[in-house]
Amino acid sequence: MNSPYPVEVEHLNFLYGDIPVLENVSLTIGEREFVCMVGPNGGGKTTLLRLMLGLLEPQQGNIAVFGAPPVEGRRLIGYLPQYAHLDAHFPVTAFDVVLMGRLGKTRTLGLYTKEDKHIAREMLGRVGLEKLVKRPLASLSGGQRQRVLIARALVSEPKLLLLDEPTSSLDDYVERELYDLLAELNQELTIVVVTHDIGFVSHYVKKVICVNRTVYTHPTSEIDHDIIHQMYGQHVHMIRHDQEHHHG
Amino acid sequence: MAEFFQALQQHTFLQHALLAGLFASIACGIVGTYVVTRRITYLAGGIAHCVLAGIGFARYMQVVHNWTAFHPLYGALFSALIAAFVIGWINIHAKERIDTVISAFWGMGMAIGILFITKTPGYSEDLMSYLFGNILLVTRQDLWIIVALDLIILVTAFLFHKQFVAVCFDDEFACLRGVPAHLFYYLMLALTALTVVLLVSIVGIVMVIVLLTMPAALAGRFCGRMSSMMILSALLCALLTSSGLALSYGPDLPAGAAIILLAGIVYLITITLKRNI
Repeated sequence: MNSPYPVEVEHLNFLYGDIPVLENVSLTIGEREFVCMVGPNGGGKTTLLRLMLGLLEPQQGNIAVFGAPPVEGRRLIGYLPQYAHLDAHFPVTAFDVVLMGRLGKTRTLGLYTKEDKHIAREMLGRVGLEKLVKRPLASLSGGQRQRVLIARALVSEPKLLLLDEPTSSLDDYVERELYDLLAELNQELTIVVVTHDIGFVSHYVKKVICVNRTVYTHPTSEIDHDIIHQMYGQHVHMIRHDQEHHHG
Repeated sequence: MAEFFQALQQHTFLQHALLAGLFASIACGIVGTYVVTRRITYLAGGIAHCVLAGIGFARYMQVVHNWTAFHPLYGALFSALIAAFVIGWINIHAKERIDTVISAFWGMGMAIGILFITKTPGYSEDLMSYLFGNILLVTRQDLWIIVALDLIILVTAFLFHKQFVAVCFDDEFACLRGVPAHLFYYLMLALTALTVVLLVSIVGIVMVIVLLTMPAALAGRFCGRMSSMMILSALLCALLTSSGLALSYGPDLPAGAAIILLAGIVYLITITLKRNI
């Protein structure tokens, strides 16, 4: 038997009160895919993400994460929330934040174990922050904070990495560095990035899921003028990505 | 000041007062840090004002129905825990504006307390000491209760430090990692209720919120971690209560008011300085 898909959605409907947010959504995300979820604000991206995390339940249809209900399957998801919902002055170091990803793996009572600390330190090294372990989160740059949150998602040893608007506050150079890191992680993990910024769609991503009440899935090569119109309506300023990115 | 140290050697009531302040500082440092970082100051204020309902009820039952063992401190604990649970439940489950809900509890707690106290023969002068505290009336029995509450708070905070930090920082992430975030939220509110009751005996219901939050807010400006913030705010709380007590003794001022004014002034001076973290 094949191992189950990281995410499988069948004929899913979701309403907030009487307002339909997602209608007849079916999609699959396969192992080690690098998928981008795009769509206008209010189109249902966040709702779909919260359904995958088991924070919402669909009124109709099915959603499975690694073949299980999301509430169980989410143990295998590493999640990176939007930074905006965190308190910028909260008294934690980069190390403290990464350790939080060990909850659920570590013991319940008492402090974190030596093993937890070892894994957290190693992961901070992997995202290139070994020198900033003891620094307060508040003193880090936007790109560094995102790396800390990625390390926090990774220490739970996930198989699927789910990132909600990871580059919304970053400048282009830092954004590209972050995607280089994700491409590297993609060797071992399935990655889903949510963004409203279609400009990012680049050669990193193999598949684009367009969410605007309904869902269409396209290989990146198919993204063209018609599809963007279909998603965003008429007045969209389209950016072409003919040039390859240069890497350092 | 010299007068205070001399009196301290002679009067046990003054020794009790000083010890009460020092012991309460442990709880204050830990729980104040939760309250400030989780931004539930107003909720803690609501719990504090609900305490009067329990105190009034206990006093009434003691005097009118002869429930002699029902110490007002037990009434205070009872009402603080109920208020913490009910406000917490509404915050999680009802889609109401939480500050409005807290306001309702804030006022109702006071109203219930005042009704019981006015119906209790002969004891209405106590109202002042409940509202504004009287650290000089702390008994040996009160001290033991304070130590017991301290131990409960200290042990719980140590055993679940990981979870509390994670829930204060990002409760949704904690929940996704399998931490029962609602349970820890209730537990945090319960610890807040215990601490509020502790501090009420020192500075009274009306001013408790200042002593709970100012030391932690001060410490937060210098500390980059929750654990160091707890330790520093406990030390600051001990320093503020002891010096407030010492300063108020000579000129015969109310100690609670002196402590609160001192804490507020130090805080306000500090926020005009540059932030360290």
